[in-house]
Amino acid sequence: MNGTKKKITRLEKKFDRILMREDTGLIKKKKGSRAFRKLMSNRLAVAGIIIVSVILLAAVFAPLICRYDPLKLDLRNKLQKPSIVHLLGTDQLGRDIFARIVYGGRVSILVGMGSALTSAVVGVAIGAYTGYKGGLLDNIMLRLSEIVMAFPQIILVLLLVTIMGQGLRNLIIIFTLTGWGGIYRMTRAQMLSLREEEYVQALRAFGLNSFAIAYKHMLPNAVGPIVVNITLSTAMFILYEAALSFLGLGVPLNISTWGNIVNIAQDLRYLQFFWWLWVPGAIVISLFVLGVNFIGDGLRDSADPMQQG
Amino acid sequence: MLTYTLRRLLILIPMLLFLSFLIYLGLELTPGDAVSYMISPERYATMDPAELEAVREALGLSDPFLIRYVKWLGGVIKGDFGYSLQSGVPIKDIVFDRLPATLELSAGAILISTIFGIFFGTISALKRGSIGDNALTLAGMLGVSVPRFIFGLLAILLFTFHLKWLPVGGRLRPGYEGFMDRLPHLIMPTLVLSSTLIAGVMRYSRASMLDAMNRDFMKTARSKGLPEWRVNFVHGLRVSLIPVIVLIAFRLPILLGGTVIIEQVFQWPGIGNEFIGAVRSRNYPIVMMIAFFTTFAVLFVSFLIDLFTALLDPRVKLD
Repeated sequence: MNGTKKKITRLEKKFDRILMREDTGLIKKKKGSRAFRKLMSNRLAVAGIIIVSVILLAAVFAPLICRYDPLKLDLRNKLQKPSIVHLLGTDQLGRDIFARIVYGGRVSILVGMGSALTSAVVGVAIGAYTGYKGGLLDNIMLRLSEIVMAFPQIILVLLLVTIMGQGLRNLIIIFTLTGWGGIYRMTRAQMLSLREEEYVQALRAFGLNSFAIAYKHMLPNAVGPIVVNITLSTAMFILYEAALSFLGLGVPLNISTWGNIVNIAQDLRYLQFFWWLWVPGAIVISLFVLGVNFIGDGLRDSADPMQQG
Repeated sequence: MLTYTLRRLLILIPMLLFLSFLIYLGLELTPGDAVSYMISPERYATMDPAELEAVREALGLSDPFLIRYVKWLGGVIKGDFGYSLQSGVPIKDIVFDRLPATLELSAGAILISTIFGIFFGTISALKRGSIGDNALTLAGMLGVSVPRFIFGLLAILLFTFHLKWLPVGGRLRPGYEGFMDRLPHLIMPTLVLSSTLIAGVMRYSRASMLDAMNRDFMKTARSKGLPEWRVNFVHGLRVSLIPVIVLIAFRLPILLGGTVIIEQVFQWPGIGNEFIGAVRSRNYPIVMMIAFFTTFAVLFVSFLIDLFTALLDPRVKLD
């Protein structure tokens, strides 16, 4: 008995000491959410955050770090090897490759994040309401998403490119049309499990309208998985943009994007003898997507303690 | 089981009808004279306007939209898929001409990704937390992050130009016909197509194996005095495989999508290559019909998987 009593008092003393130190400002209270701290202790996620922020900052501050205009042709200095003058060399038209990659990041990331956000807005808006309401509308939307998702995505994307034509805006619209299904299904599933919660029944009993219940009160509880989904679909859309531009069917070739830079490698002569034309672009795409995937996986682990392995 | 099959069929058929309706809508809305892909081009070229008008009437192009759709659908069911806009070849011939190449590539990729994915995933689970496990997990992340066409380009650079082991692309050199002559051409596209699939399968089978390792029957097997390898590979692996095999079948859309790009990188004469060519030249009928068939295949296969899963696990039917 005596021993346990002693132990408790010792533990209490320790707590008192910690509280005292916090009061005097010697150590800081743990701030931020538990999920955020968990994310920061995940080494891969931190590496992802660093990779992504470096590339993102470079793209945002492109004019400050590039000496050359990415669109300026200089046929006299074409196909230069990497050197001090041109960090990564010049391409077949004499454009500086470093500048093309940095400026290309703006477009590629815009397409990736933009499409992920717009498809999330569409998917969440539909999924939250129909998931809560159920009924005929829910059934129709579910079948519609099944049809859209049955198409191999790249085939549906290319089909829409054929109909709507190429271009930056069209690409984002097409990615949204083909990509809302996944996040819609996920939001709907979340809403189905929240629907039977007592607070939802209470709100219904108060006579609140369905829109307010679905969007204002239920949706915030489903936000974790939605953020994870947006992150991972950003990576996916950047890959799609790269693949389409590589095929010459994405963003028009006169705009620099990462995919358009690698496009040149379709010509076997450039692929074989002028590796610096496409290898740096390929590395940046892969690094960025890898970084985003690291962050996405880290977020998933920290947002959902059930899903670990 | 019979009622379950019928219920699944009742969902499948309206979806196929809706899909075909969307495809037909696309065909109608895209530019171009509908007559030009409904009759063979030799006839189209030799006809004067009055005759064309008569044909239009005979083909029912002045009928209301829904009736035209029903007629078109009837034709598709009978195997009349229309004609290519540029070459005038019946689309059916193009599809059947190109299909074997794509099937060869996909079958190879499924085989390789299944074997290697399950192997690496199981190893990873058995040695959980080791350096090897971490390295494999990282390699898996690379596998899903690096675009497949970049894998393809790097493979061409390495194996064709530097080591000079494998041909750069294509399926057959003229004059050679046997499978052994095709094999060198097949290796690179198949391996590259498998790369992303392996990463996915590895993830699933690792999770599934970890799940199986915690079950009670593993302890029973161990307490019977069975050697460790027998416990893991005969008792554990067998149970962990079922969900993995089902998931592999569900990845068919990813596989089909992958072939589109890989066939382009390696100039593999399959459906995907034809599809890209048609997209580039705005050959709408071909684009629509290939999209229709791939989606049809996906829907049909997932229907079969549903039945298969229900056979394996009786609880599914109760849903």
